[in-house]
Amino acid sequence: MKILLTGLNHKTAPVELRERLAIAPENLAAETQALLSHPGIREGLILSTCNRVEVLICHDGDDPELSKYLNQHFSIDEKTLQPHLYAYRDAEAVRHLFRVASSLDSMVVGEPQILGQVKESYSAARSVGAVGPALERLLQSAFTAAKKVRSETLIGASSVSIASVAVDLARKIFGSLEGKRVLLVGAGKMSELAARHLMQQGARSLLIANRTHERAVRMAQKFEAHVVRFDDLYARADEADILITSTGSPEFLIRTPHAQQFLHRRRNRPMFLIDIAVPRDIDPEINRLEGIFLYDIDDLQSVAASNLASRSSEAMRAEAILEQEVVRFQKRVEVLDVVPTLVDLQAAAEEMRQAELRRNHGRLRSLTPSQLEVIESITRGLMNKFLHQPLQTLKAAAREGDTAAVELIRSAFQRQGGREDAGNAAQEQSAPDADAPPAESAGKSGEPESLISKH
Amino acid sequence: MFLVWLRVAVVLYGLASVATLAAVFGNRPQWKRLSVSLAIIAWLFHGVSCTEMLADAHRWMPAGMHEVQSMLALLITTAFLLILWRYRTLSFGVFALPLALLLTVVPSLGLDKYAFKSPMIRSGWLFVHITGLLSAYAALIFSLTASLLYLIQERRLKNKRSPGFLNWLPPLETMDQIAQTTLVLGFCGLTIGLFAGSLIAQEIYGARYFADPKIWLSFLMWGLYVVLLFVRRSKGLRGLRAVYISSLVFLAMLSVWAANVFSSVHRFSAP
Repeated sequence: MKILLTGLNHKTAPVELRERLAIAPENLAAETQALLSHPGIREGLILSTCNRVEVLICHDGDDPELSKYLNQHFSIDEKTLQPHLYAYRDAEAVRHLFRVASSLDSMVVGEPQILGQVKESYSAARSVGAVGPALERLLQSAFTAAKKVRSETLIGASSVSIASVAVDLARKIFGSLEGKRVLLVGAGKMSELAARHLMQQGARSLLIANRTHERAVRMAQKFEAHVVRFDDLYARADEADILITSTGSPEFLIRTPHAQQFLHRRRNRPMFLIDIAVPRDIDPEINRLEGIFLYDIDDLQSVAASNLASRSSEAMRAEAILEQEVVRFQKRVEVLDVVPTLVDLQAAAEEMRQAELRRNHGRLRSLTPSQLEVIESITRGLMNKFLHQPLQTLKAAAREGDTAAVELIRSAFQRQGGREDAGNAAQEQSAPDADAPPAESAGKSGEPESLISKH
Repeated sequence: MFLVWLRVAVVLYGLASVATLAAVFGNRPQWKRLSVSLAIIAWLFHGVSCTEMLADAHRWMPAGMHEVQSMLALLITTAFLLILWRYRTLSFGVFALPLALLLTVVPSLGLDKYAFKSPMIRSGWLFVHITGLLSAYAALIFSLTASLLYLIQERRLKNKRSPGFLNWLPPLETMDQIAQTTLVLGFCGLTIGLFAGSLIAQEIYGARYFADPKIWLSFLMWGLYVVLLFVRRSKGLRGLRAVYISSLVFLAMLSVWAANVFSSVHRFSAP
């Protein structure tokens, strides 16, 4: 079974092209089923995110020309699509899939969503029966590799967006955000995003204050928040643990005396102030007050940039882990590839049968051709019956991915694993039988393989 | 046999300390699991050692410096494990486990040369006295550590471009809660311990007992403790000022410990 992965991503294709190929989550199962109907494809999966569209298939024989399938299916001419497509085969495809699942190929390296998206694609493919043993093994190994990268490196430990940096800092101050109150001063897009992140992380309630009261009301309805009149801002700001400002005010809205009042009313409980406005809304001097933690847009961006740099160094460690995982997967596939072992076992048994018949050639000389035919039939029948159960067990173990059982059966018959078998079997078959007397060796005597054919 | 268990605990404390440093500074989950497992096993061996030590001596309380040190180390590890369980932070292990290791090294080398010989040794009041005070010491160590870490974290968050190696510090609010809770628990232990000790002293020695430097330093420490608690709770004191007050009480605590040498009526090491 061969593996082929083809597709395009944010590095190879512009968004205009990516969006033409993008598949909505609800259509993923149907599209995967359509893929499976393409000639030559045994198993398949489609990964479609905002940054990539990739098709992963297992096939026998020649490449099933996936680019043609993509051209026809998405009605995009070959000239437009071809320059942006990449294709990986076998070990390269495995490596690429592992990198994608581990978020090393993502636009923001280390982002956690991609693993969930790969799992969704897997579920969709499974639901339409597009995942067989080969793809199952490959995807489970990809999930394991991604989990290992997450647990053994710090690739996803630090935040790299402004909103998530704000959440991280809030956590450094308050621990859990459960029950914390957020006050939004000004209804800008960035502050809305930061507030949304904080609420998702467990912040209890949202207060909104805006010079245009109606706009505050509209936004409050969207978030199920409470509105604070702008005139009451200084009287009520101390109710909030986290205060986000993004007004268009040309002067500082909050100065040291205000912050001192807030702290006094809060009995010095810490306050986290996020000033996203340009020009700034909060006097930077108030950061000197004990219990006040003020971050402006530059501070947040600088934390995000330094986190991004540390992710890059962790990515190198992650690549090394993935390389080991790719090798491990390849070895496992080789172990579970039992076809050469089956051929080898049958050839070895047949060789043994022939050797025994040759050894007793003198004693069988007096038999008639029909009697010899009976002996031939009995010995072959015995051999097949003896081999039947081990071969069935070997096939079942390979199907179930039970490497231990496969190895056990191989060692019981003194066979080596994987692709080496084929080579060994070929060598053993071409070499003269070491145990057989030289004169009786099929190769040297020039005798045909079967006794029947001699007569 | 209890010395054997104690030596095993010392080795495990050493390993747990190394694993904790790796877990906290390297932020590696597998080291975290290892360090927690080692700390729990060390604590179990240590607990068995202390129980066997007291059972062999047919008493409930430690009667020499080695025994007291060992018991204090056990209380510190217990407090660390409770904090770990309650607040899910391993960071305190960076201090607690090496401290437990240091406190148990000498006791694991052999028995006390001198022990408290008084027949009072089997008194229930004396047990309350010593357990209460040792708990207070352990609690105060954690309170001071939490206040110091709070200060470092506060400076780090204010400076904004702080070094990455301090990422392991727990959140401010967690440290504040630990500092407050241990302070209250320590105060309860100190009050109970001093009250029980005063009752015994009044009964046996009368007023002259209270002229001893170790004894009045203990009361000074209690007084400072009351002030610290009052100010912290009423003003919501945090950061640098909280550290100053905690340090003052901690110094008083060290003085009480050191005053053992100068005390004429309350000492462990003299025959």
